[in-house]
Amino acid sequence: MEFGVHHANHYYGHSHVLARYCGLDDEDPPRIQGYLQHGWNIGDGLAPDHEFTPGVPKFVWSERVRRRAWALGRREVYVTGAPWAYLVAMEPEPAGPREGTIFYPFHGWEGQHILGDHDVLIDEIRDTETGPVTICLYWQEFGDKKVRQRYERAGFRVICHGYRGGQWKDLDGAFLYRQLAEQRRHSRVASNRLCSAVFYGALAGCEPAVYGDPMRLEGEKSAFGGQARIEREWAPMHGKRVDVEAARAIAVQELGADRLLPPAELRRVFGWPMPRSVEDAELTGVLAR
Amino acid sequence: MTVTLIGGEMPLWSDLDATHGPAPAGGAALRPLLGAVFGRTLVAGPHDPELIAALPVDDVTVLVRSESDAAVLDRYAVLCGSLDKVPAVAAYDTVVALDGLDRLISAEAPDRSWDEVLSMVAALVRPGGRLLLAVENPFGLHRLVTLPGELSDADWVVAEGPGGPEVLRGRLAAAGLTVVHDFATYPDMRLSEGEVSPSQAGDRWTRDSLAGAPAAGGRRSLPAEISLLSDSFAKNRDLSGFVEARLSAAMTAAKDVLADPRRLATGAARAGLVSELAPGWIVLAGKGQAAEARTAIWPDAITVVDGAVREIRLPDPSLPRGRTLEDLLLTACRRRDLPAVRELLTAWLSGPAAGVPAGQIVVDAAGRHAGLTPAADPLVTLREFAADVIRGGYADLWPAPIGEAELTALLAGMTGRELEPADVPAAAGPRAAESVRELTTERDRLAKELAEARAKHEWYESMLRNREAELKRVRQINKVLKATMPGRAATSLYGGLRAGKRAVRGVVKKAKG
Repeated sequence: MEFGVHHANHYYGHSHVLARYCGLDDEDPPRIQGYLQHGWNIGDGLAPDHEFTPGVPKFVWSERVRRRAWALGRREVYVTGAPWAYLVAMEPEPAGPREGTIFYPFHGWEGQHILGDHDVLIDEIRDTETGPVTICLYWQEFGDKKVRQRYERAGFRVICHGYRGGQWKDLDGAFLYRQLAEQRRHSRVASNRLCSAVFYGALAGCEPAVYGDPMRLEGEKSAFGGQARIEREWAPMHGKRVDVEAARAIAVQELGADRLLPPAELRRVFGWPMPRSVEDAELTGVLAR
Repeated sequence: MTVTLIGGEMPLWSDLDATHGPAPAGGAALRPLLGAVFGRTLVAGPHDPELIAALPVDDVTVLVRSESDAAVLDRYAVLCGSLDKVPAVAAYDTVVALDGLDRLISAEAPDRSWDEVLSMVAALVRPGGRLLLAVENPFGLHRLVTLPGELSDADWVVAEGPGGPEVLRGRLAAAGLTVVHDFATYPDMRLSEGEVSPSQAGDRWTRDSLAGAPAAGGRRSLPAEISLLSDSFAKNRDLSGFVEARLSAAMTAAKDVLADPRRLATGAARAGLVSELAPGWIVLAGKGQAAEARTAIWPDAITVVDGAVREIRLPDPSLPRGRTLEDLLLTACRRRDLPAVRELLTAWLSGPAAGVPAGQIVVDAAGRHAGLTPAADPLVTLREFAADVIRGGYADLWPAPIGEAELTALLAGMTGRELEPADVPAAAGPRAAESVRELTTERDRLAKELAEARAKHEWYESMLRNREAELKRVRQINKVLKATMPGRAATSLYGGLRAGKRAVRGVVKKAKG
């Protein structure tokens, strides 16, 4: 395993997906020469705990994030689009029918605790959704038997896409594949907070919705305007029923799906080798653009 | 004919041989202007003998201040001396002063202002007659980018002309002259001393040159790319691409400058300041007559491309309409619109004008590319564009660090083409001139790159320390595990397996043998 400039580059198998797009070994993706945005956010695209080394490029998902990052003093910010957008472009839409809703209750990350009532949220989901409901929990909550059972007792199917990985350990190259397969089985995607998963679902062809108690993290700080700003600025994504076309257009923008790089360019900016110079590279799914 | 010494003549002097100042007015670009010459004509000041020979009239008088120049031109009626000694009689239908007004007064005469010289020249024009006049713009692009130079022998006094087309019109009107037609000239029609190569400067004008002796290698280095543009032509939006391409070719720097004059020239074109910032102007002025139908006399533009003269009269359907590819690309860069840059680059490299510099391609409304110069190796051209992007200060758009070869490879990647920096061809020829602005940009870029490389180095160092600590820890765990019962069992099992493998290998070898 080669080590990326930052371990977050490998979260959720992002670099695995991009390695495949570039025609490289997606079992063992090479090191990205820079920081890759790993989740939708309303700041400079990178996690607040990120350490920056001057001159190391930041690869962000959208032009809007690039502009914001520039305004926040970041340079060498390059828009590549989200790995998800590449995955959606590479994976053909399956023929099967779509049914029901996949709901992502807002989660905290390792070491964070949620303040909120899961039961109130469960009632709201039941009142809103007409079809079968799949609840997708973050691995931490999925591992919490009490939380899991509460949703199961409500008659929902409860799943987890997997562990995102960390510090180059327990990396899961199939995370996004599982998420895409799940989302494409559902006709709606929803959450109680606008987050990556909702944008992902919108791009994957689901009707997005954001409703219910947004819950709060213990000691949550409102950096970049917090939840209130999200609800104001991305208002068209909020509600039990939204304007699907408008929401999808926003998702395309936020995920940079309208500006994917050709594989040759992506390899150059990541400092990745050409496929033919890599022995035993498994050439899979390179898009001819 | 006769040489008349009118007074103030300079014995140890020549304006024609370009040793004491710029070469005299001449060159193919001026030939089409001679169509305006009629009747009794005075050629005032040093002019290329070939240009004088091309005058469409027989009654030609020449005014020069140098005795030796007078001798060279003695096939004409020559007035040798200072302009102020010429009788102020309106005796000429046409006065040709395409060398400007700076070399009409000799060192023997008292100092005169530009306007005084102009009124003296104007006084020689008959009512109904014409003046063909070249004027250097003291606020022209060439002056804005020039580094301090040395004074020449001809600079015993400097009379500065008007600093703008409108000011020029006003001064001419004050002298009783009405502008009938004018051109902005790019570059300055006269070359400064420093730009004449030694071999050329040494090859002086002689009688032989008039007798038609072959001009081996060209006696003077006139610019190969010249554009004379009327203001309405330069401001025609449809022709912006053509105009910028011509100006950029004309303003290629021959020596070190403050800033790349090509960038300033194309910028001036976009700002509608082609006339205002032109290195010089050439005007056709009439005396005491209604303005003539201008296009009948001079065309809308005259271009010299690689020595070939073209007269353009609008509307000329053969002219490419649209903006230059370079303009489109750099506009997209300024807007940080990389998807547009990708599209433009792809269209360039896969289109008919691949290999033509982006600044010499006009893109029409339908996206078709018209190359104005012959195509070279597309990768060399792409590298030149990359160099322009870096020198122009647009390198920030791509992840650092970025050099010419790296950016070329990345630009190729933006079109989906695979190219390693090592495979990027070298730049075509040594760089002729440097500009202070571009050098500063380059220095800042390299300083930043070095600082970042140091920061990265530190980061890798700390990463390495972490890894080493991790490795040490894992080795210790390994050691401890090896000492345990299952560890020992595993070790002996592993040893046994290796021994077995060796034995099998031996058997296989034997069997093969």
